[in-house]
Amino acid sequence: MAAAVRRVLRASRGWSAALRAPEAPRAQTLRLICTTTAVQKRNIAASGPEKYTEAFIKNQIEEFNLGKRHLANMMGEDPETFTQEDVDKAIAYLFPSGLFEKRARPIMKHPTEIFPKQRAIQWGEDHRPFHFLFYTGKQSFYSLMHDIYGKLLDIQKYQDHLRGQGLLAENRKQINLIGSRWLIKEELEEMLVEKLSDHDYSMCIQLLERLVTLPCCGIEEEYVLKFRKELAIQLKKVVIEPLQYDDQGVAFSTGEGKRKTSRASAVVYDNGSGKITVNGVDYLCYFPVMQDREQLMFPFQFLDRLGKHDMVCTVSGGGRSSQAGAIRLASARALCSFITENEVEFMRQAGLLTADPRIRERKKPGQEGARRKFTWKKR
Amino acid sequence: MAAPTAGRLAALGRRLAAPARAWLPGLTQVRWSRYDPSYLEPEVNKELYRKPLEELSEEEKMQQELKALQPIKATPSNVTSSVFSDPTISKFTNMMMKGGNKVLARSIVTQTLETIKRKQIEKYHQASEEERESIECNPYIIFHQALKNCQPIIGLCNIQKGGKTYQVPSPLKDNRKRFLAMKWLITECREHKHHRTFMHEKLSQELLQAFNNEGPVIKRKHDMHKMAEANRAYAHYRWW
Repeated sequence: MAAAVRRVLRASRGWSAALRAPEAPRAQTLRLICTTTAVQKRNIAASGPEKYTEAFIKNQIEEFNLGKRHLANMMGEDPETFTQEDVDKAIAYLFPSGLFEKRARPIMKHPTEIFPKQRAIQWGEDHRPFHFLFYTGKQSFYSLMHDIYGKLLDIQKYQDHLRGQGLLAENRKQINLIGSRWLIKEELEEMLVEKLSDHDYSMCIQLLERLVTLPCCGIEEEYVLKFRKELAIQLKKVVIEPLQYDDQGVAFSTGEGKRKTSRASAVVYDNGSGKITVNGVDYLCYFPVMQDREQLMFPFQFLDRLGKHDMVCTVSGGGRSSQAGAIRLASARALCSFITENEVEFMRQAGLLTADPRIRERKKPGQEGARRKFTWKKR
Repeated sequence: MAAPTAGRLAALGRRLAAPARAWLPGLTQVRWSRYDPSYLEPEVNKELYRKPLEELSEEEKMQQELKALQPIKATPSNVTSSVFSDPTISKFTNMMMKGGNKVLARSIVTQTLETIKRKQIEKYHQASEEERESIECNPYIIFHQALKNCQPIIGLCNIQKGGKTYQVPSPLKDNRKRFLAMKWLITECREHKHHRTFMHEKLSQELLQAFNNEGPVIKRKHDMHKMAEANRAYAHYRWW
């Protein structure tokens, strides 16, 4: 039986290569591996020797930095200011690939992004685990819950102490949570280097929220902020072009908009009388329907600038309603250059600066349309 | 605690949008949206943006700060910030629409409002001095009041118990009340109309009658209330 296993191993050398020692010479070293599948499927938390040692990762990082400098020299750029985007562009230039799957193309990224974060071995030489919660299976998660609860008890003790002295009313310190959000499950998993279930995640967030409701939670502010992620102010994402001036000195601004399959580009002139020209035709002739004309006027009416601007726009594709929506978005974007930042924020909150993502839903096989099913026949 | 709940809602929204059980054949998601769940509804009313900073209360200031961080959906095509766009009228137009012909539906509704105005002005000129004050000429006010008068207070719900289906009286949500009022009005005008009369004429007639709490739509509302009163004995069958 043992001889048979040895023969199998000799024949298929590539089998269970991971279990072979990495620095083994090319000579055929044989090892009896009498394992069963039940033992091979192990808990990730209790995973055995790490696949990549720390020294290996460090080596990879040094190689990566060196390679980046070589690449910069090859491309004729300055090695000091060679960013990751430049690296990607250089690799795409040097190794052009026709593969459709983006993840199969050649990449050169920092080793921390390629090699997954993993944990050091959780037990010592005597095979006893270091952490006291190792046998729960989710040691980082439960230790985190313990820590948070410990902090909660500390805050309560502090509060009781203040209440005893009668100083609770003045010393209320709350954490300011506006402008940030709790970490999502993926981010928390990344932080703990451990898989979580939805229930675990919600329990953790509930405990944190409970901590935040206490009046004196300010003492643990930096600990709580570790679990919060800053939300970008949405207004910063809106790009406002500067005003341009034409030959007569009249200020104008261009904007582009889209809706469904329509694409529109609008030029809004200052010192106008409210004239709108679409594809060379007056807007009254191009849009006979009142609803479309109302949509054209919407941004101007919202900013009380109805008769103050002239507009010349071109639009193509789509139907009448989507063309009107595309021109509305284009004119709203063009108007951003004429108004203050507060008004731009008001326009954004009125929904004028968002491109409508709704498109026609595709027809599915086995159905007559996107949603309509074929007539049901009993037999 | 608007701030943490808003964050929690967004995070939970992300969780709920793709639940772990989405693959179950009986529980596929039908209602989904092209927008991410964190997108908020747009606010078109100009007056809210005109208010200077001092007049805002604490809550409103916090809401403004929160709104600055969330993305906003695009405004639909039938909504504008002008004084002439009315959400009830838009809803009514959509319900009148057949086969996507919004142009026709909207023209009918505008003609209805015009007809109401003409009738009321005629009545105004023919009335005496004392009656003139009580005559309402604004067609929008008449429309809203008529719809309000047509809304039922209590509705009937089909509940199956012991093999038989009972009509059980139950409270209605606001949206459902508005929907029923509009639906009754439209079906009434479509069915009991001479084929030579225009829709806008018949609609204006019905609306004016409903404004004065008379007419077939009000009768239908009263019938619904009477049925609910008659089936009062089964009210305990409802468990929510």
